[in-house]
Amino acid sequence: MCGTARLRDSGDMDTVIETSHLTKRYGSRTVVDDLSLRVPQGCVYGFLGPNGSGKSTTMKMLLSLIRPTLGKVQVLGQPMTRASRRGLLRHVGSLIESPPGYGHLTGRENMRIMQRLLDLPQRQIEWAVDTVRMRDQMGKRVRNYSLGMKQRMGIALALARQPQLLILDEPTNGLDPAGIEEIRELLRSLASSGVTVMVSSHLLGEIDKTATMLGILSEGRLLFQGTRAELMAASTPDIIIESSDPRSAQSILGQQLDCRSDGRTTRITNADDGSTAQAVSVLVHAGIDVFEVRRDEQTLEDVFIDLTKGGGL
Amino acid sequence: MKYVSVEFVKLQRSLSWAVVILLPVIAVASGSMSSVASDGGLDDGWYTLWIRSIGFYGMALLPVGIAILASLTWRTEHRNGNWNALMSTSVPTSAMVLSKAAAVAILSALMQVVLVLTVVGFGKIAFDLPGMLPGRYVVSSVLVIIASVPVAALQSGLSMYFRSFAAPVAVALVATGVSTTALLTDMTAIIAVPYATATYATQLGTSLVEASNTACDAAGISAGTAGLVAGVSAAATTVIVIVTTWTLNRSDTRA
Repeated sequence: MCGTARLRDSGDMDTVIETSHLTKRYGSRTVVDDLSLRVPQGCVYGFLGPNGSGKSTTMKMLLSLIRPTLGKVQVLGQPMTRASRRGLLRHVGSLIESPPGYGHLTGRENMRIMQRLLDLPQRQIEWAVDTVRMRDQMGKRVRNYSLGMKQRMGIALALARQPQLLILDEPTNGLDPAGIEEIRELLRSLASSGVTVMVSSHLLGEIDKTATMLGILSEGRLLFQGTRAELMAASTPDIIIESSDPRSAQSILGQQLDCRSDGRTTRITNADDGSTAQAVSVLVHAGIDVFEVRRDEQTLEDVFIDLTKGGGL
Repeated sequence: MKYVSVEFVKLQRSLSWAVVILLPVIAVASGSMSSVASDGGLDDGWYTLWIRSIGFYGMALLPVGIAILASLTWRTEHRNGNWNALMSTSVPTSAMVLSKAAAVAILSALMQVVLVLTVVGFGKIAFDLPGMLPGRYVVSSVLVIIASVPVAALQSGLSMYFRSFAAPVAVALVATGVSTTALLTDMTAIIAVPYATATYATQLGTSLVEASNTACDAAGISAGTAGLVAGVSAAATTVIVIVTTWTLNRSDTRA
């Protein structure tokens, strides 16, 4: 799985982010509800959820930009609090909501500000700029950048400190497909060099191929956390039955199972192996010819949509 | 110093520089013109030119100017994702507060330097006054620079807290109006309030209201008044910086 090579010598550092019962309420509105996240070292953690599901609020609590109403945050093995944050943030790069940058200054001047603030060597600045392929844009004022360039410079500003943990909030927002692919590539290469990346998105497709761990959030609650394979396994695809009389099949099976028909096939939801076998047996006894029984092919996208719509598996 | 120098990198191509130059020039130019218009000239030479220039400046332009400089300095931080980015660095909160306050204080000091240079320029070139600007006004200007520090710290704190550009400027305008009125009505305790300290310092060695008998009228430049300005400024600045740092450290970024 993620970063196993680095786990051995890192002791209690194998979990880079850990939250327990993390909750944020604004008045009576609960934005983040009892979240227990676990982000292993060296992985790309895809933090997924529809807009407004609490992803940004969660990430802000991880950075102590806002304080939780309840619960605790541990980053790099230490509690993240107002007292400890400055020390911890030395090792954490982040890009939250809109990309930063002083519009009236050039990219180079913006990088110089970060360099001076954090006492960074010039080679780290050069590396960060090269990593996001912005070298040719450094002489331009940031206000004249495209959104994609602003995002990339925001990432460069976060990378310049050579963080152990990178927290990116919707970094692919507003990017064209080529830009999105470039960010994916960047995240993969960072993870392979040992940086733990937590990246949020409201579109599964954007980080599906990059993330080694997934956390799915809906209305402030964590619906799922685990690997992609675990996510697929956790959800049962529909059983599709092709028979000589789909309508009769539906009315017979519908007495016991959650099933529907589109006129050509009969579809059973949430059927385990036992109920599938039973369904076939019932149909055969009723004199309906069964031609084919199969599990529906399910994409991760389907699982994600099911999860976030239904509020659970 | 490192953090203050970063603030000046951010101030490149900023409107702040126009404020630093224009406000004092406007103060001196309008003061001179009103003298010429009402009295036909500068009756008492440098003295008249100075009180005409510093009068309105000290009672309105200086605090409002500092407020504008503070709002300009913080405005860039409230834009884009800059606030989140800044607060997610390892830079100590106190350094953020101090560097901004220092940058605003340095800009307001430069404003006073521009004022003195403009008075000298007007005196020598426009009015052909004999001699040089008396030394006591240079001393008074040093005290103005010192007294501007708590105003800079306070306005910087307000502009940090309020995203609005205008609200902190309005606060400065109202607070200066109130404190100037209090100074005129002999409420000496008001000097502890930064806006009043600054106004008080600008009026040292002048007559705030000629031929009246107010406390300000009597205040000259002495070790006592200089010590009062410096002491009150140091104390107020310390309190303001501590409170601002505490507030920033406790406040959450907007949801």
